[in-house]
Amino acid sequence: MRAPLSRRQKRGLTALSFLLPLLAWCLISYVPALWHPQMQIIDPGSVDYFQPGMRVDRATFDAELAEATAASHAVPTGRPANPIYLPAPDEVARAFYTAFTTRPETRDGVWLHQSLWHSIQVIFWGFVISSVFGVPIGILCGSSDLFARLVEPFVEFFRYLPAPAFGALMVAILGIYDGPKIAIIVIGTFFQQVLVISNTTRKLDFALVEAAQTLGTRGIKLLTRVIIPGILPDLYRDQRILLGWAWTYLIVAELIGTTTGITWFITQQARYQHFANVFAAIFMIGILGLGTDLLLALAGKRLFPWDRPRAKS
Amino acid sequence: MSKILPSYREQLPQVAERFARLKSREVLLEVKQLGKQFGATTALENINFITHRRELLCIVGPSGCGKSTLVRILAGLENQSSGEVLLDGRPVRGPGRDRGMVFQGYTLFPWLTVKKNVMFGLEINRKGGLESEREALQWLQLIGLEKFADAYPHQLSGGMKQRVAIARALANQPRILLMDEPFGALDAQTRARMQAHLLEIWRKIDITIVFITHDLDEAIFLADRIMVLKAHPGAVQELIEVPVPRPRSIGQFLSDEFLATKARLEELIYAAPGDVEEAYPAVARLTQVGDDVE
Repeated sequence: MRAPLSRRQKRGLTALSFLLPLLAWCLISYVPALWHPQMQIIDPGSVDYFQPGMRVDRATFDAELAEATAASHAVPTGRPANPIYLPAPDEVARAFYTAFTTRPETRDGVWLHQSLWHSIQVIFWGFVISSVFGVPIGILCGSSDLFARLVEPFVEFFRYLPAPAFGALMVAILGIYDGPKIAIIVIGTFFQQVLVISNTTRKLDFALVEAAQTLGTRGIKLLTRVIIPGILPDLYRDQRILLGWAWTYLIVAELIGTTTGITWFITQQARYQHFANVFAAIFMIGILGLGTDLLLALAGKRLFPWDRPRAKS
Repeated sequence: MSKILPSYREQLPQVAERFARLKSREVLLEVKQLGKQFGATTALENINFITHRRELLCIVGPSGCGKSTLVRILAGLENQSSGEVLLDGRPVRGPGRDRGMVFQGYTLFPWLTVKKNVMFGLEINRKGGLESEREALQWLQLIGLEKFADAYPHQLSGGMKQRVAIARALANQPRILLMDEPFGALDAQTRARMQAHLLEIWRKIDITIVFITHDLDEAIFLADRIMVLKAHPGAVQELIEVPVPRPRSIGQFLSDEFLATKARLEELIYAAPGDVEEAYPAVARLTQVGDDVE
């Protein structure tokens, strides 16, 4: 079970892990025998409330068909279809392109790329503000038992409070624009961040600190010259995971106050039943998130050339 | 069959003369009535000894005798419960750069290159970058690793890592070098090479070494004197002056002086009162009668 995989195997499996769900989606979309619980009307025939392009349940269609046949009226025709909320892969693929080129529905509306950029800014500021406080506090908790005792119990408690629950409060305090959205992301990220980073700091081999002490290092220099450089690669990994965490709070955060960003785009498109666009936007978030993480992972390899051998030991 | 060994107390004239010379040097480290309690258990009790400048003192003892605790107290990484440690006549408090230490585990800073590791102490103690770099390179030359100056620790073998750790400690110019089973994790061949290497370094520079080990051969090969501890509680059993002449070589492992010293050490460590091995519990006999291996 644990035999190491070759490079080609790894690549093949990575591709497969994306291709398999895609294949399932294609099968459900393009093979009429699979699922397709509805009929899309081509010709209403004698059924007065049917219209071309309309989707009805198969049972309804069959009943109307039987009735029309029995009465020797013109029979309705249709083809099997999936519900409107499940667009086929090709429609979503097309929407990827058209979503960017489609004019906003309303005059004061924004383009998709503007929505995305807005979301990225909200995430960015939420994460930066959380990190400015969370990282130093986490490191302090990890290196000083006194500080950890003082801070961690409350943080442990607070991290169980669901961040979206603070939505109304944040709107009252920070207004209806980006303030409360950023605040929700900060609340959702910060408390986890303190605990995760204090744990990482605690895992540093204490012998390194002792070795530094016997070399005459003391006080703040133990922190800046030993502890921080020692945990840096792990800290970086933690930050990547926490950034993913911040992304998951984005949609909830953007619903608070005036809906903005990618969430505004998604809710708008859903309202007009442009589900292909909705899917495209959701995938776009996924691609942005995964892409950022891959870039950061790549940068990490460059930044910490000594951080290779862990797998070996 | 077995040869009558001379007593480990008999010294050749040249050895006796060396010890006289050693003892005429000033006292560098003095440990007075040192004790350490961990809760209700006594880890160390009434430890007294002195080392002279440029002495190489080995401390051996059965596991659990507190030899690591002792050296950690000397380094200032732990506090004693009673007694005093004096370095150059001044009491030691907390860790400091006057006492370098080499640990059993690898403690090179993984984020620094070999050269930067050796420079660490120098830079911490506010020496200019250029000067510390020059000094670091000299130390790397001394340990024969100047080619690896820009390598990261994870690219080095275990023996090389410990050599750099020694250079890092020495570059700081401590008065005394404390070594806590530094070669314990190395394979036998590497260990033998490291021992010879350490003696070479010790010969070249003015440094006093306190070396903890559980390997008796290692202790005899390296030491001027060997302090034997006993366990429960840790206390000094005997301080042996090693009668094996210097310079030491692998060939001496079978010399009379070496064997006599080793016999005495084994006597002290394995037959120490209170450390008698427990009788084996009766186990079911799973071999055939007449199939004994002995």
